[in-house]
Amino acid sequence: MSLNLLTEEQNEALQEIANIGMGRAGRSIAGVFDEFVELSVPRVREAGLDRLPAAVADLIPDETLTAVRQGFFGRVRGEAIVVFGITGCRDLAGLMGYGSALEDCEEDELLLDVSNVIVSACLGGIAEQLNADVCFSAPSVLASHVPPAGLFDRTSAAPADTGALIVEVNFRLERHSFACSLLMMLPADSMGAIRRALDDFLANF
Amino acid sequence: MPISVLVVDDSAMARKMLIKSLPPDWDIEIRQACNGEEAIAAYRQGRADVIFLDLNMPGIDGYGVLETLQAEDLNCFVIVVSADVQPQARERVMKLGAIAFVQKPVDAAKLEPVLREYGVVV
Repeated sequence: MSLNLLTEEQNEALQEIANIGMGRAGRSIAGVFDEFVELSVPRVREAGLDRLPAAVADLIPDETLTAVRQGFFGRVRGEAIVVFGITGCRDLAGLMGYGSALEDCEEDELLLDVSNVIVSACLGGIAEQLNADVCFSAPSVLASHVPPAGLFDRTSAAPADTGALIVEVNFRLERHSFACSLLMMLPADSMGAIRRALDDFLANF
Repeated sequence: MPISVLVVDDSAMARKMLIKSLPPDWDIEIRQACNGEEAIAAYRQGRADVIFLDLNMPGIDGYGVLETLQAEDLNCFVIVVSADVQPQARERVMKLGAIAFVQKPVDAAKLEPVLREYGVVV
């Protein structure tokens, strides 16, 4: 269900901008795993707070999810949340050469690192192309192995008019692949700022 | 006669950005393709002297297009335009016969030296 947070043209622009950001994330991930990363084209979807668990469950059909959050500040501020399904966690552990049974702290550390790479490359790239400076807080684990509905209990502090832009992220490496979703939680005033920034960007073409 | 330029990208936005970055006084006829299949069809119809090719597209991707063109004697200039900034991506496409690899976001300053080097713009 679309909320029409962005027009079709704004969505298309954001998607291409996110694509460029994910290219950078891909290079960083390739560096971590010392393997070529095949990139996919990120799609941008939108959801209101109430629809978020359903939207995430749609993209990641796993029973339990783990999420890492990271705040971002600047002309556009909000919270970035990277969501991994249990399959994605296992795939990542496999990539790092861990056995199937990861200690919780090892898994957290791995997810924090990967999330940080994705968030800073993607949001940093978006901010740069929209001529907006952005800085990030340190990443922290929002929830570990919870059902989709439980994931957002702890974001109840977010204003009710917060909208979310969801960027699908898929990285395929030669031997493995992993998928996760990047949610950009944007309060209404930031959603306005991102719309204006996208319009400025679009005015160039 | 104008040069046939084919712009291949699944994103309409990316195609617009690229077209905007082409030299304004260049005598060209621009065609667009939004996937690899359309790109190959346009090439076979002889409608592509210069191809600006995205890599990551659904269906036949940019690598697939290059492989097909190479098997068919590659009778055109292919400039890859991609968000992929891994050095291996560049190596792969150069091996497949691309004349250049331009990183997104594309702009006139990035394209001009490439077009001049190959004499497609004087």
